[in-house]
Amino acid sequence: MQHPCSAGKRPMLELRDVSFRYKGRPCDTLRHVSLSLESGEMLLLAGRSGCGKSTLIKVVSGLAAGEGEDRRDGIILWNGEDMTDWPPEKIGLLAGTVYQTPDDQLFAMTVEDEVGFALENQGEDPAVVRGRVKEILGLTGLAGLEKRGIHQLSGGQRQRMALASVLITKPRLLILDEPVSQMNPQGVRDFMELLLRLNREEGIAILMIEHRVNELARYFQRLAIMQEGRIVYDGPLQAAWTFLTGRGDLGLREPQCVKLGRILGLPELSTDVAKTVQEIKAYCPPPAAGAGVRPERAAQTPSPPVVAAENVCFRYPGMTDDVLQEVSFSLHRGEIVALMGCNGAGKSTLLNLLGGLTEPSAGRLLFAGSPRNRQRVSTGYLLQEPDLMLLAGTVWEELKWKNDTLTDAEAEALLRRLHLEQCRDDFPLALSKGQRLRIVLGSFFAWHPELLLLDEPTTGQDEASLQEITALLRRYRDTGGTVLLCTHDVELASRLADQVLLLSRGRVLAYGTASAVLSRQNLLAAGGLVAPPVLAVSGALKIPPCITVEEVCHYVGPATLGRN
Amino acid sequence: MSARQLWEGTDAKPWIRNLNGRTKLVFLFLYAVLMITIDNPRTLYILFLFTLLLHGLAGTSFSKWRVLIILILLGLWGSMLSQALFFARTPRTPLLVLIAPGTPFFGPLTGGLYIYREGIIYGAVQGLRAVSMLSLGMLVCWTSDPRQLLNGMLAWHLSPQVAFMLVTAIRFLPVLAAETEEIMIALRLRDQKAKGPFLAIRHLPYVAKPLLARCLRRSQTLALSVVSRGFFSDKAARRRQQWEGRERWFCLAFLLVTLAVLFSKVSFLLSEQGLYAGSLRGFYDFSSLYL
Repeated sequence: MQHPCSAGKRPMLELRDVSFRYKGRPCDTLRHVSLSLESGEMLLLAGRSGCGKSTLIKVVSGLAAGEGEDRRDGIILWNGEDMTDWPPEKIGLLAGTVYQTPDDQLFAMTVEDEVGFALENQGEDPAVVRGRVKEILGLTGLAGLEKRGIHQLSGGQRQRMALASVLITKPRLLILDEPVSQMNPQGVRDFMELLLRLNREEGIAILMIEHRVNELARYFQRLAIMQEGRIVYDGPLQAAWTFLTGRGDLGLREPQCVKLGRILGLPELSTDVAKTVQEIKAYCPPPAAGAGVRPERAAQTPSPPVVAAENVCFRYPGMTDDVLQEVSFSLHRGEIVALMGCNGAGKSTLLNLLGGLTEPSAGRLLFAGSPRNRQRVSTGYLLQEPDLMLLAGTVWEELKWKNDTLTDAEAEALLRRLHLEQCRDDFPLALSKGQRLRIVLGSFFAWHPELLLLDEPTTGQDEASLQEITALLRRYRDTGGTVLLCTHDVELASRLADQVLLLSRGRVLAYGTASAVLSRQNLLAAGGLVAPPVLAVSGALKIPPCITVEEVCHYVGPATLGRN
Repeated sequence: MSARQLWEGTDAKPWIRNLNGRTKLVFLFLYAVLMITIDNPRTLYILFLFTLLLHGLAGTSFSKWRVLIILILLGLWGSMLSQALFFARTPRTPLLVLIAPGTPFFGPLTGGLYIYREGIIYGAVQGLRAVSMLSLGMLVCWTSDPRQLLNGMLAWHLSPQVAFMLVTAIRFLPVLAAETEEIMIALRLRDQKAKGPFLAIRHLPYVAKPLLARCLRRSQTLALSVVSRGFFSDKAARRRQQWEGRERWFCLAFLLVTLAVLFSKVSFLLSEQGLYAGSLRGFYDFSSLYL
């Protein structure tokens, strides 16, 4: 399905039948891609990892020009003019590109130098550059940080600086390659609001690559979906949901309201809570009095805690305040606990304590009932950046690394469980992001740890990969393992976690079942989290608070199934 | 101070941070020539102290001084100790007998192990050469924006690819330092059984692979970002030819001093071989006393 370009109006950017093949690859990475973008338009481009999205960006930016043994076919037009052979620096002035990790694209040492870099290269007078830098920093919310070192900024600020460094040349198009994949919900919201403002006030067109369609859908009018180098959908975002029905192969996570509408068989699928509620009210009869009991997860037989924290405090050397303040909780065998909270809540510090990287300043950590038993509770700790944990030359070696007890038969079985049997002899760091994460998880599973600590393992993963990871974690839990999973993803926590431990400014804000914690709007707001959309739906429908689509369906589903 | 901040240069004083990349590179190169030319321990020591003075004037932070001092001590002591033990030239004066030739087993095996006075001096000279350049190199790294150095190299028509690779190494020093720290933690977490004080050393061989793989990816992104922001455009090339007059004069003066030192030293060495000219007597005296 292709986007019908407005009749008579010439698009700002137009790709006509563009194909691209990297040197040494047997097939094209981009296959006959035709795409257009009008001035001031916002387009969300989604698709599974490796579908060709980043290559498309390179082709548009002139950075994959088909030189050497690479091959490029087709035409790219800018306001009707053929830009296929324009140099990247010329294209860069019109279309600025922001990449996924700001650290990788920043070159200077201070904010001022970094932001002014592109103008300096245009030979502008230093006074003009300084003035423009000040203006752009104000626009991107970084005013006053001119002299700051780039590494002294927070992750969100660095991403804004990366944006500022391309905005300085007043581009007409911003190309963003998964710019929010590393951000927390608040960071995503702030960044997207900034982009919307730039779009509305400056008229800058935006082409964003991101597979978190569920979170970003509300900011865009148009969606294009790529699969294996082709554009398989290009059209209004609201119409995309029908197209996505049964298309799990595209690797996109649909918004909760859309999923709910699909399961309920609503005539129109929408991301909008009010519209979904309206549809439900119109097409589904209200639930009968006492309609069912909330579908709680099966109650676990209480088992002795694997780890318990008793009034644990922690303070970094040289700091005056505790990062963790009297934190108490216990983790039991066979449960998945989501550790949640906004940035600076103390989540990573808590994981470091449990992982044995630091010791509490006060309070006690009890492992299998005693502070002396740390060695008895084997613990696997997955750091936020799993790539740094990959050390061997092949996937097979990675699983066997320092795992002398793992037999070849067990390793084979583990490879199958991880769905990595095809990659057995591949270099781990050359695999996809999801595969790389599964390898590290597999290396832990190989020595059967009792406790698994995961620091934001799902960041930047597409939906298909997320499904595979959640399946692995469920299986691990079902075999008696305990998981403490640090995440900002409320939807993931609501469908995966048994318990939620919510931290705020180093204190435990709430600890209880996922449905009890995540269904309280005030708690989520206090913890800096975004409530799942179905919570608002359940509130508007005046049914008990629900955090998963399945829970809403329990109350309204039976009456509507089969309507359409 | 984190490992990342340790390798950043934003805390340096503006006078040195704002110097043109070419000025820094010329100074570094000519200083290296001086360090190779000069053999006199006192002069080398003064030149070494001068590099430390530059650090002081540049406002090098306490944490960076600590790193610098550790590296200097390691370099200096390593060089002095190895030369003191294994100095092979003659004459040599044993100051201390570590293993006498008559010691059973080790004596005949080693032929005796001594600390030689001349070895210590020779090691100190070599060590001073090495640590002076180390100190100056660190100063350039800690006070330079990667763009300055890249601009400097490109202005001298060095291949953009080679120049970019050289400078990217400096740009990524802070990130590499932080990631090395993280990889060491990751190794500790992956290797559950490993214990002991030399754990970090045992794990060192495994650090390179993830570090290099990430560097490769990162360099690609950085290259794309820099290219699309016009760093290699004609306008940028014209701009990078600008070099402030005062700095150029300083470099020229330093070049002349270095050439004079080189001439003096070479003429002195030639005089020792019989190529003597009376009019160069002043140079010979200067060389024998100070070079």
